[in-house]
Amino acid sequence: MSTVARADQATPAGSARALSERRPLGDRGFQVLALACGLLVLVILVLIAVSTTQQASSWFTTEGLKIFARTWDPATGQFGALSFIYGTAVTAIIALVMAVPVSIGIALLLTEVVPYRWSRPIVYVIDLLAVVPSVVWGLWGILVFAPWLQHIYTDIASGVNGIPILDNLFGQPVSGASFFTAGVILAFMITPIVTSLSREVIATVPAIDKEGAYALGATRWEMIRGAVWPHSQGGVVGAVLLGLGRAMGETIAAALVIGSSPTITSHLFAPGYDMPAVIANQFGESYGVFKAGLIGIGVLLFAFTIIINVIARGVVERSARRKRGA
Amino acid sequence: MAVVAGQQQVDLREAKGWRRTSNRIVTALMVTAFVVVLIPLGFVLVTTIAKGASIISWSFLTSGPIPANVAPANVGGMGPAVLGTIEITALATVLAVPLGILGAVYLNEYGGKNWLAALIGFFSDVMTGVPSIIMGLFIFSIWVVHFGFSGLAGAFALGCLMLPIVIRSTYEMLRLVPNTLREGSYALGASKARVTMTVVLPAAIGGIVSGALLAVARAAGETAPLLFTILIVTAANPNVFSGANTSLPSQIFVNASSPYTGAQDRGWGAALTLIAICFILMIVARLVTARFARYSR
Amino acid sequence: MQRARIRGGAAAGVALVAVALSLAACSSSGSSGAKSSSSPSSGSTAKLSGTLNGSGSTFQTTYQEAAISAFRSVQPNMTVNYGSGGSGKGRSDLAAGVTNFGGSDTAPIPSAEVPNFKGKTVLYFPVFLGPITVSYNLSGVTGLKLDATVLAEIFSGKITSWNNSAIKALNPGVSLPSTPVTIAVRSDSSGTTQNFSLYLEKAGGSAWTLGSNSTIKWPSTARAGSGNAGVASIVKSTPGAIGYVDYADAKASGLTFASIKNSSGTYVVPSPSSASEAGNGITIASNLTFHAVDSPNAQAYPITYQSWDLVFEVQPNANDAAMLKAYIGYLIGDGQQLLGNLGYAPLSSGLQHMAQAQLSKITS
Repeated sequence: MSTVARADQATPAGSARALSERRPLGDRGFQVLALACGLLVLVILVLIAVSTTQQASSWFTTEGLKIFARTWDPATGQFGALSFIYGTAVTAIIALVMAVPVSIGIALLLTEVVPYRWSRPIVYVIDLLAVVPSVVWGLWGILVFAPWLQHIYTDIASGVNGIPILDNLFGQPVSGASFFTAGVILAFMITPIVTSLSREVIATVPAIDKEGAYALGATRWEMIRGAVWPHSQGGVVGAVLLGLGRAMGETIAAALVIGSSPTITSHLFAPGYDMPAVIANQFGESYGVFKAGLIGIGVLLFAFTIIINVIARGVVERSARRKRGA
Repeated sequence: MAVVAGQQQVDLREAKGWRRTSNRIVTALMVTAFVVVLIPLGFVLVTTIAKGASIISWSFLTSGPIPANVAPANVGGMGPAVLGTIEITALATVLAVPLGILGAVYLNEYGGKNWLAALIGFFSDVMTGVPSIIMGLFIFSIWVVHFGFSGLAGAFALGCLMLPIVIRSTYEMLRLVPNTLREGSYALGASKARVTMTVVLPAAIGGIVSGALLAVARAAGETAPLLFTILIVTAANPNVFSGANTSLPSQIFVNASSPYTGAQDRGWGAALTLIAICFILMIVARLVTARFARYSR
Repeated sequence: MQRARIRGGAAAGVALVAVALSLAACSSSGSSGAKSSSSPSSGSTAKLSGTLNGSGSTFQTTYQEAAISAFRSVQPNMTVNYGSGGSGKGRSDLAAGVTNFGGSDTAPIPSAEVPNFKGKTVLYFPVFLGPITVSYNLSGVTGLKLDATVLAEIFSGKITSWNNSAIKALNPGVSLPSTPVTIAVRSDSSGTTQNFSLYLEKAGGSAWTLGSNSTIKWPSTARAGSGNAGVASIVKSTPGAIGYVDYADAKASGLTFASIKNSSGTYVVPSPSSASEAGNGITIASNLTFHAVDSPNAQAYPITYQSWDLVFEVQPNANDAAMLKAYIGYLIGDGQQLLGNLGYAPLSSGLQHMAQAQLSKITS
């Protein structure tokens, strides 16, 4: 490392040579240990990918490209997964659209607006949001939240009845357990992750940058835009990706509130299905190609996550490059 | 820029017009964001407390075995599930957090921009999207089939769930530690390992602990991965390394969704217990970290 | 000041968790999952020790929980665990060798799964019978009568309101409202769905086209609930709802059930005794597999189903064999007395004798 070389030059020649030569065993050992831990992630992932693909192979070979068909009906032997892919995409988008602005807003509130003494209770409130188990979100969702939302959905649906695009999105059929309800519950669940990590990231913006902006007469909002955001942009995107991962992979809560109806429809208030939910609901009784199909849906979700991450990284890289002027 | 003295009285201390309004709107939006989050949290907590508080007692928390669904509310308790959650989550944390931190150390301190680090970082993100039920299935097929159900298998499954969260959050925090800290330590002749352990990690400890706590909270609340790895049971099992086990979230699901009122009370009582345990843990961890953290406000 | 407060808070928190941990560890009873010891046993009064793990059918869960609880006084040194998870999981866990017995609502093992068992013989022990009620929510209407054809049309979405002529024909003299019909179904796959759809397929004839499986592609207007309790709560909270709910859960939820026309033309109300009747007069194979749905018995409730516990004929050691004989023997013997209170039907005496005779086939 260049920094070590600079350190060598600062010390007398004899001891510098000694230092670089006798690179302590502990130092090398530490590097190997760190590398091993990093590799462990790859190993685990490769193992998961291999073992699930192998268990799903009979589905891939029996259905071929029909794995992307619309109909999922085990009773008649049709195993097309398109409706679940659609459901995962829709609920994840709804969850992100709702959670990301709220989370970043709270993170900024904690770091820029609220005095330090008051920020601790707010942090505890966010922690409390994080410790609610997913099964409780699901149970509360189906017992309390969904029935209440059903009234609201019905009112909205009658309100937009007949209006072209809005009716397609928010019109009948409506159900308490639906894409939108699942998206909202997922938003509640991913908010603590995105908020917490964003807050930590935003808190490390050097005070000098912020004070400089204020010194130039910037309002708080302008300071955030000019000093905080460029510095913490990458970290916040990382936080959002974590939240997205959680939204796509959340199993129990989605299974309880999404409505369990494998359909592809633009109506957001209609019951739907998503990939983790169908696996959770139908795995216990499945066997043969049915079971392979459910595991295969897990593999598809895996692939989906990879694609989303590639796209997200690409977008971030592009905008960062544009900002740097490269 | 600076006001030239003697010119017209432009007061730069106060923003005017649209700048002031937009500033106020944004501040209001930020406060609204917090309020928006308070509402569902409040409702969930109120529901859980209303349904579960009546059954909480010392005997509920410690006695077992967990009775059948049909048993009335004052019989037995959730002791086995409390024990199971604590021991399995603790084991998962011990497995995943040090590995995750070291993995992030590799990515940030040693890996730099090389292809391996980029690959590991990318796939760590991908791993956060793996549904928890697939993690459970994975551990079932490579471990449980050979060694049977155990709390250890459950800990593996939960650890796999926690690992990417710890890596990503630790990585983000390490990345933001200013290089001047590292360079100053190198200038004093410290080895890289020493610098990382004694300067960089403590500088980022607040964020690292935050990320680890989120991972622990997630793991403690998961049901699906344990379904395949611990064979949800009713008797207590203090041995986390062998033999079937149980956990609070599993029991919550089984009990709260049954039609018998005794089971429902137990289920919601278990939910309240889990929330309380995790919350106390998070507060304690944050207090301890605040005591030791440097470079925080 | 702040430091002292932090220290105090941290200490209190750590102490609290430590106390909770130690008390939980000390006072919780029940033995840990020890490996099977090699204590020999012959008679049913010999004290056995060890652990039995089982998983599978959720239909059996209530009975298994009650039996495990009661069995502790019969064999205090044995630990029995039953992990539910579904019949498919029960069979695959048994095949993988991670459990000692598996609960399954379907027998024999489906052909697609047979290779998983690697040629080892599996014994089927029927454990009990249970009715599936057709529960409905229509204020002021009790004693609704339905038959398979009408049920098939309701659950395929062809009948959409309660004052439909087909329903009226079966219920002369009952004033049916014009409320729309809301069908309540299972969101999770289950043996209940499997057997309910099997009944509709067998008895509903051409009216039923959706097949028979643990998962059915219900009409899009159906409301789905998780577990029998989920369906029960949909029926309870939605006027005009009709759903299929396991008898025990329907009774516990306080639902109203319909009486269904059986194969002899009688309208029978679901109950443990009418379900037991379904076990009489049906063909039972030599390996004790059978179908209780649409039973030919004149007093039978037609939508009755059953569950088995599967074990391997040859066990890895003598202690496992002895423990299984003791526990399965309890399930099909003394444990049957628990069934009435739980809302399930005991095995008929003929079936019980056959099952008890099969116990001796478990060897090591």
